[in-house]
Amino acid sequence: MKTSPMAPTLPVNLGEGPFALSADNVVKRYGSVTALDGLDLKVPFGAVYVLVGPNGAGKTTLLRVLMNLERSSDGQAAVLGIDARQDGPRVRAQIGYVPEEHSLGYPWMKVGRLLDLCSAYHPTWDPEITARLAAELEINPARRCGQLSKGTVRRVQLLLALAHRPPVLLLDEPTDGLDHVARDRMLEFLAEYLVDTPTTALISTHRVYEIERLVDHVGVIREGRLLGQMPLEELRRGLRRYSADIPEGWEPEEWEMEGMVALRPGLGRSIECTVWGEEERVVADFAVAGANVRESAPLSVDEAATTLLSTREVS
Amino acid sequence: MKLSLDTEDGRPIYVQIVDEVRRGLARGTLGPDDPLPSVRELASNLRINPRTVMQAYAELEREGVVYVQRGKGTFVSPHVRPNETERPRLAREVARRALRDARRSGLELDELLDALKKLGRDSGPDGKDGGAE
Repeated sequence: MKTSPMAPTLPVNLGEGPFALSADNVVKRYGSVTALDGLDLKVPFGAVYVLVGPNGAGKTTLLRVLMNLERSSDGQAAVLGIDARQDGPRVRAQIGYVPEEHSLGYPWMKVGRLLDLCSAYHPTWDPEITARLAAELEINPARRCGQLSKGTVRRVQLLLALAHRPPVLLLDEPTDGLDHVARDRMLEFLAEYLVDTPTTALISTHRVYEIERLVDHVGVIREGRLLGQMPLEELRRGLRRYSADIPEGWEPEEWEMEGMVALRPGLGRSIECTVWGEEERVVADFAVAGANVRESAPLSVDEAATTLLSTREVS
Repeated sequence: MKLSLDTEDGRPIYVQIVDEVRRGLARGTLGPDDPLPSVRELASNLRINPRTVMQAYAELEREGVVYVQRGKGTFVSPHVRPNETERPRLAREVARRALRDARRSGLELDELLDALKKLGRDSGPDGKDGGAE
């Protein structure tokens, strides 16, 4: 195909709420650069919401605005009903945060001392979970923060995010830098954490496949705006890959169908299309065009993200 | 209960769990009043969202396959009749997959049935394909 297909109209409405996290028309400008351009995003209570988007889409900025680490230029961001701009410290107390950058801030400080320091700030600090995570993630308290590898810093950041048992997790690329075993451990902890503590999690990542099984909501953002957000089942229902047999002499390149986000020729007279829309309607559209759908299947969240982000912006 | 999931499988994870329990019943590795793993245990073992496990267990409870004893856990119902329910259901499921695969390959039902019968006749008691091509 000459140009990539246009982005489909995806659902954005998750109902009336109340929501654990909400961004209403949030704008964040840095000088002439607009990082968030009227972003609306809702995370229901208890959801594990994965936020996907290309580099520079505003994912990290959104997380920072929710914590009021960045002050939004306009709009409203709230966490558990608390306005982030009005009451940043109270909001941050509710949040376990893994920042994008691999830095613990105090290079000269020993890890054990850092944990003590953080525990003093949080009345809900849980020594048991701290000890367990430190042991299982092989965190050595005698090491200095500035001398840790990228992966070890990430482990400490995860420990710091979970140890005060916050009801909200904001995780920015949580698996970045982790080796296979550490990543597997982290997923195990997160699954257990979700059972033990009523939690709402917002996870920004480019590696959706790594956390795919924990996710139940998906949001796609691009250029500081929301492209769509929905429960996982809705994504699996709405976005499907269709294999179809096509008649001879047919030029699929010139064919257009509502909601089509990807099309590639298969072997011989067959095509594979990814289409957003109700399955019955899509199959009927194929039939009208003379093509016969042989099968359709949902996409993984990772494939769905790649496909949707490969589309062209609706102008 | 040993349970594994297939990410490439088109079925949602909760359906895979439900099917895995049915398979246990049909094979006899799970029986009346046997406990299922706790939600925490299964979510942790499979690294999945606990809600997915709850969804699977709720579905099994609705079907009368399991019962929940508050504070104790989830157990296989004493009323399950694997031979009358689970085995036919499983057979239907396997057949559905085979049929779908056949259609995808452009095969007719008769061709699939013929191949299955021949394969079934030729294969040894251990289930291995004995038929040399």
